[in-house]
Amino acid sequence: MAFLELRNVVKSFGRNEVVRGLSLSVEKGEFVSFLGGSGCGKTTTLRMIAGFEAPTEGSIFVEGAELSRVPPNRRRLGMVFQNYALFPNMTARRNIAFGLRVEGKKGPEVERRVDEMLELIGLGEFGERYPHQLSGGQQQRVALARALAPGPRALLLDEPLSALDAKIRVRLRDDIRAIQRELGITTIYVTHDQEEALSISDRVAVMRDGLIEQIGAPFEIYDRPATPYVAGFIGTLNLLQATALDPEEGSLLVEGQVVRVGRRLEARPGEARSLRLRPEALSLGGPGSNRLAAKLVNVKLHGAIVRLVARVGGQEVLVDCFNDRSLELPGIGADLSLTFAPESCAVERP
Amino acid sequence: MSDAKPIRKAFSWIWLAIGLLYFFIPLLATFLFSLRGKKGALSFVAYGHVFADPQFLKTFGFSLGMAACTVVAGLALIVPTAIWVYLKLPKAKPVIELLTLMPFVIPPIILAFGLIRTYSRPPFAWISSPAILVAGYVVISFPYIYKAVDAGLRSMDLRGLTEAAQSLGAGWPTLLFKVILPNLRTALLSALFLTFAIVVGELTLAVLLAWPAFGPYMALMGRNLAYEPAALAILSFGLTWGAIALMQALGEKH
Ligand SMILES: Nc1ncnc2c1ncn2[C@@H]1O[C@H](COP(=O)(O)OP(=O)(O)OP(=O)(O)O)[C@@H](O)[C@H]1O
Ligand SMILES: [Mg+2]
Repeated sequence: MAFLELRNVVKSFGRNEVVRGLSLSVEKGEFVSFLGGSGCGKTTTLRMIAGFEAPTEGSIFVEGAELSRVPPNRRRLGMVFQNYALFPNMTARRNIAFGLRVEGKKGPEVERRVDEMLELIGLGEFGERYPHQLSGGQQQRVALARALAPGPRALLLDEPLSALDAKIRVRLRDDIRAIQRELGITTIYVTHDQEEALSISDRVAVMRDGLIEQIGAPFEIYDRPATPYVAGFIGTLNLLQATALDPEEGSLLVEGQVVRVGRRLEARPGEARSLRLRPEALSLGGPGSNRLAAKLVNVKLHGAIVRLVARVGGQEVLVDCFNDRSLELPGIGADLSLTFAPESCAVERP
Repeated sequence: MSDAKPIRKAFSWIWLAIGLLYFFIPLLATFLFSLRGKKGALSFVAYGHVFADPQFLKTFGFSLGMAACTVVAGLALIVPTAIWVYLKLPKAKPVIELLTLMPFVIPPIILAFGLIRTYSRPPFAWISSPAILVAGYVVISFPYIYKAVDAGLRSMDLRGLTEAAQSLGAGWPTLLFKVILPNLRTALLSALFLTFAIVVGELTLAVLLAWPAFGPYMALMGRNLAYEPAALAILSFGLTWGAIALMQALGEKH
């Protein structure tokens, strides 16, 4: 059995079924993110693991033991909240020491551990400050140290960075990942920010309507989305309307131009399909046997990436290129030849 | 717009001044009156008489004691209830709010007769116990204690703090004494303040339940003497405030 396991977990609030038979296995030391839109049940699932909500059906196991009769304060799971939830009447030190004191630890042992934790989060000098004397980022660091101090079995974080501004968010998320690796602690991280989830997780669970739509390594989720929803939710996606031409040899027509996907299609000739293409799978005359004639409509610079907005017949297509010296952009309105590999596109029913 | 501001500011100062005058003029008048115990001169003679009466310290001490018991009982009853309602039964909040209005709607005299009727014969012949008086006082001060605690709970992230403490292993006692109560301090102090102010001067319950409390003593003095009651009023005022300041100082040190 995995270190942490959810089996067919259901949660209803009145008639509203919010989590609908969710199963999940997390290995020891793994960093798993729950990613999904607002209201898909991420927080509810996390709170059931923490013990703040009881599952309506199903069970949750940690280290092989079923948790339904274990109250939250006996689960030994550290929790980090979106709004920090530091104790306002205690200094950073005493916040961090709280869990240790509850365990009955005393004196030098506590102090040593608190020093260690302050060091870990890089706030050595801030121990005597009260929460209101710390910035949001510092408060969340203290909250992280507080959760980690008693040595919990796993760490649960509910959108810990969403109240912080962009720069600090990136710094702190890298720090969280580094600390998690150093301690080897099993971690579940809730976020609605796909970049965050993809950049720090071992595995990402994309959630929708109270279920996990796909779970896998970040590359897997991004490169091989299992469902149209995941494909659309993660990253940017071009959806081109097409009609099947010769399903046996895997060809379609897009605005009168032939595209080959290199595999058999489940369609009758002339049937409508959508073609799914990542902007970075398209290039201006790069490798790839497919070619689409297009017109350049707009150019947007995103730092290292240049995003071209092109038009294939009546449909808009986004193309991402690296912003390097060799890139020679034609003028707006110029004709383009977009190339892409057959295996880079997916076909689905519209 | 820019002209309106100083005018509005001036108005708010005027209203504040009126409020303060309304509050302090009677106090000042009472104080001045209390100093006229000796003909033709201002003196503290009346205060001397008050202190010379052993009944004064006895009744005042009794009422302070009752106030302390009321605060302890009231807080012990209301604080956990309010926390419970906040965390587990938010739907019950309007019911509690309605209950807090009861002591205003039902006059103390009805409360007193109710207590007498219920507790003066077996199986509940407890009317001579001070616990009944304290229970009555708890009812009277309930709205004030509840409002103060409610404001305190509202101003903190009760659910967040509770869950944070629980995830760190804390049970209910730790949660209550180490997390919630320290963050409720201001609210608890104002509950205490209000309860003392109400209980020390309370008349109806004390008279009807026949206790030697300060309220009835003051009323009695007022009937028989002129300057001493004024001195008494000033003294009780000062002593109540003094007691509160003392408790606040003790609370601060802790
Ligand atoms: N205590 C509750 N009572 C009733 N409904 C609730 C309760 N908690 C959550 N819900 C509902 O359950 C659904 C899922 O909520 P949840 O907080 O798990 O979503 P989420 O994925 O965390 O969303 P977000 O990204 O907005 O935080 C929502 O529709 C919400 O309204
Ligand atoms: Mg949420």
